[in-house]
Amino acid sequence: MSAPTLTRPPVRASRTGVDGASLRKRTPLVFVADHALLIALAVIFVAPFVFVLLTAVMSPAQAGTAFAWPTSWHWDNFAQVFEKLPMLKYFGNSFLYAGSATLFMLISSVPAAYALARIQFRGSRFIMFAIIGAMLLPPQVTSVPLYVMWSNLGLTGSLWPLILPNLLGDAFSIFLLRQFFLTIPREYTEAARIDGCGELRTLWQVVLPMARPGIAATSIFLFFASWNDYYGPLLYTSENENAWPVSYALAQFRGARSVDWNLTMAATLVAMVPVVLVFLLAQRSFVRGVTLTGVKG
Amino acid sequence: MASAIRRRRTWTAFAFLAPSLLGMVIFFVFPLIMTVVYSFTAFDLSNPPRWNSFANWKFLFGGDPLIGQAALNTLWFVAILVPVRIAGAMLVAWALTRARRSSGALRTLYYLPALVPPVASTIAFVFLLNPATGPVNRLLETVGIHGPGWFTDPAWSKPALVMLGLWVLGDIMVIFLAALLDVPTEQYEAAELDGANGLQRFRHITIPNMAPVLLFALITGVIAALQYFTEPAVASSTAMGKSSVGAGTSTLLGWPDGSTLTYGQLLYSKAFGANLFGYASAMAVVLFVVAGAVTFVLLRRFSSFSPEVAS
Amino acid sequence: MRSRRALLVVPALVSLALATASCSGSPSDGPTAAASAPATVSGTIQFWHFFTDREADVIQSVVDDFEAANPGVKVVVKSGQDDQKMRQAISAGQPIDVGLSYSTDQVGPLCSSGDFTDLSSFITRDKVDLTQIPDTVLGYTEYNGKRCTMPALADVYGLYYNKKLLAAAGYTEPPKTLAELTDMAVKLTTFKKDGSIDTLGFMPLLGYYENAEAHWAPSADAQWLNDDGTSAISGSAGWTTLLNWQKDLIAKLGGYDKLAKFQAGLGEEFSAQNDFQTGRVAMNLDGEYRTAFIADQAKDLDYGTAPFPSAEGFENTYGGGYITGNIVGIGKGSTNPEAAWAFIKYLTTDTAAQVKLSNGLKNVPTMHDAITSPDLEVSPQFKTFLDIFENEHSSTTPPSGIGAEYQTIFGTHTAKWQQGDVTDLGAMLKTVDSEIDAAVKLQAGS
Repeated sequence: MSAPTLTRPPVRASRTGVDGASLRKRTPLVFVADHALLIALAVIFVAPFVFVLLTAVMSPAQAGTAFAWPTSWHWDNFAQVFEKLPMLKYFGNSFLYAGSATLFMLISSVPAAYALARIQFRGSRFIMFAIIGAMLLPPQVTSVPLYVMWSNLGLTGSLWPLILPNLLGDAFSIFLLRQFFLTIPREYTEAARIDGCGELRTLWQVVLPMARPGIAATSIFLFFASWNDYYGPLLYTSENENAWPVSYALAQFRGARSVDWNLTMAATLVAMVPVVLVFLLAQRSFVRGVTLTGVKG
Repeated sequence: MASAIRRRRTWTAFAFLAPSLLGMVIFFVFPLIMTVVYSFTAFDLSNPPRWNSFANWKFLFGGDPLIGQAALNTLWFVAILVPVRIAGAMLVAWALTRARRSSGALRTLYYLPALVPPVASTIAFVFLLNPATGPVNRLLETVGIHGPGWFTDPAWSKPALVMLGLWVLGDIMVIFLAALLDVPTEQYEAAELDGANGLQRFRHITIPNMAPVLLFALITGVIAALQYFTEPAVASSTAMGKSSVGAGTSTLLGWPDGSTLTYGQLLYSKAFGANLFGYASAMAVVLFVVAGAVTFVLLRRFSSFSPEVAS
Repeated sequence: MRSRRALLVVPALVSLALATASCSGSPSDGPTAAASAPATVSGTIQFWHFFTDREADVIQSVVDDFEAANPGVKVVVKSGQDDQKMRQAISAGQPIDVGLSYSTDQVGPLCSSGDFTDLSSFITRDKVDLTQIPDTVLGYTEYNGKRCTMPALADVYGLYYNKKLLAAAGYTEPPKTLAELTDMAVKLTTFKKDGSIDTLGFMPLLGYYENAEAHWAPSADAQWLNDDGTSAISGSAGWTTLLNWQKDLIAKLGGYDKLAKFQAGLGEEFSAQNDFQTGRVAMNLDGEYRTAFIADQAKDLDYGTAPFPSAEGFENTYGGGYITGNIVGIGKGSTNPEAAWAFIKYLTTDTAAQVKLSNGLKNVPTMHDAITSPDLEVSPQFKTFLDIFENEHSSTTPPSGIGAEYQTIFGTHTAKWQQGDVTDLGAMLKTVDSEIDAAVKLQAGS
């Protein structure tokens, strides 16, 4: 079991392409065809963003009609979104949810993943299977009893039922972190043990610095999952507008008597911005993380 | 001496795992048991659960007029949305390997839609696919094609959701890309020398090497399809056009004509709309069994493919 | 080995503890009236309602009046809360004192689950005069003998018609029977060059704006439920009459697909683009509140209102219509029931408050004194609805333990019917009966 490389090598200008076709022999026609496909795909993937943006700056009257190009440019629609809805409050809630969830997850899941990756003990395989099981469990299966439990604790109408469980580990994060820890060569941990380090010190001083990219990737994953979560807030915050995160508030924007499509689209874009920003800043870690989820079963 | 070290190590391991194990019990094992228990009760949350033996189960397998459609719709998504997304992701990933210098930027581009909050992307798509005023139908009109009703037409609402699913295929595309690049070129060269053509190389070298990733995408895709909720729910309510103030969820289920009603939406509606927490629990048990069975079958069937599952 | 077993004890204990905690819900009956009414009420009450925007402002002004009359009370208002959110909050134990629901659908579940407390002790103690309220309205505010809600204001449905479009086709009077409606609808419909509908006389498709089986039912005296709560649909001749009328009109207007296409382009119901307000449709079924929206968004519209036409064989029902209403009650977790009751009394029995709400929301007051009050603003179009409200042939959808689900069950079948996918109407109605009965049975538990 060899450790996959942690960094993706740049796309090789190799002699053969991925399906073995010799790239040297590519005719200009094939070159154009390859790139035409990519460009077409690029257009298709970007087009929705463009249309949303165009609608977001339209006047209210034009937004519901068929005209694709704005006759007048209303950049103030974005400001209006913040005026009409307490968007800052919603963003604050999203940050609270995603941020605390990630922080709590790290506290609970890093040691757990380390134990499963690097400590040999009876039952580790069983626990691993249980974690995979928990990972694959559709949340709706346990929605009812969990909701009952949280309502007994008086915490419905808030984001706490979504944040607090991360203090007791998150299955997917444990799985992912374990994959990362597995890639750190055993020699380091063995050396630390021979030196007399206890497990905690090994983890803290030896493993963590090396696993920083993996931890970053896992954090980003959970951050995004929490930021984009709709079902959880639907269950637990719908009756309390003060607790709405952006992902849920957006769906409520059209709950009023009429839909202002231009403002709705503007709000949609505003909701997308933080996620896109974080991704652009943390691309490499993120892709690395995504890669390692799948490559090793 | 060795056993003392081993014992201390085991203790440490459990100490590290304690919060997570506790979490598993509280948020996984225990609720699972309670779900089964609740499925035999009539429970409206305001009053304690009342035992009603198999009443919920009889309704589930006999009386509920919506369960059949919900189950079939969900299976439709499993059978169509998942393979289409995987195939699409493969295509895009393959196309990316053909590029050279621009692949990084393009990869980001294809990935961006997957980052968008699902509510936002669904609303955007409902807008884009508006049969009368949306850009897509307008574009089709210019080439003489009369576009369908998309989210307002029961025959096209599920395909419209598949289109949305394709737009956000970036999340699995990225994994596929990495796996594609990982396939050893020597194998390709050897095969080419043996006279294998492109398709044969794909079948016998690319696919087997990508097996773990494909299996991962397949299993997570199926699980996601089984619990499909947000996109169809938001699409129904946005496309309906009527104000939904005070209406709650029950009148909107799977609009139009229940075509996008998924099992997850029905479960939610029965629990939080009709306050039938006992019946919803019975539905949840069925979902669990199906999800577990599917995962088991898939892992078993394709385990010959993947080198090892747990390491 | 030993260590592992020891560790398993901890989770087991925790599970046990949670198990006992998880059996939830205290089967208490909710607050009841104190022996004698307090001289003054004070404290804070949580008031949840569903209105938004302009209508929420109207509610707020009435809340302000109540606070002015009762200086010790502070009302904390939460707007935009629909039925589901409210019920979810109440059953999760949140201390909602007063809840206002926009429809009667939840009366059955609210009363039977105990989420809204029984008001009879308050009503008897304070000698509230229930004769001020029509019997039908009293009927939809209680369930199984338990009165857990009071009616706040009512919604009444009738026919809106565009006088200008009717005149252009030679009509001066609105239709009084469904047969007349069909003829006029056909004459008033115009088509574009490509064959699609330009202006529609009347939309027969259910699901368009306020077109609902429930809103048509009074025209044919169509019954929903028997006294024991089981479905009465297949036994009620009115439904067959109504559905056949609908099928006929759909065919005469060009078929389902054409109408569905027209529907896909409808304007938002409560926006200025509402089809009736823009003249896209000539006649439309709608509630009395539409007069307020028209006054606000389409001042120049020349329109009239009339009771909805009666079905063939049921001409005696003409003059009646569908009524429903806002209902208000005290949440079971209320911490200040006396102040909550004082507020409810104000909303539901105080003439001035009812008149103010009605003038602002353009809903129909539920108290006779308020209807006849000289302060009530009554436009000619609005008067129609007051008359319908007090007409003996008006009826409502009965409360049920399953809420409005019997209507949605019926709806899934009528959707197929109007598309032309059902050949045996009788069999379809019998299926509807059995599905509703099964749902009622499940809700009742065992």
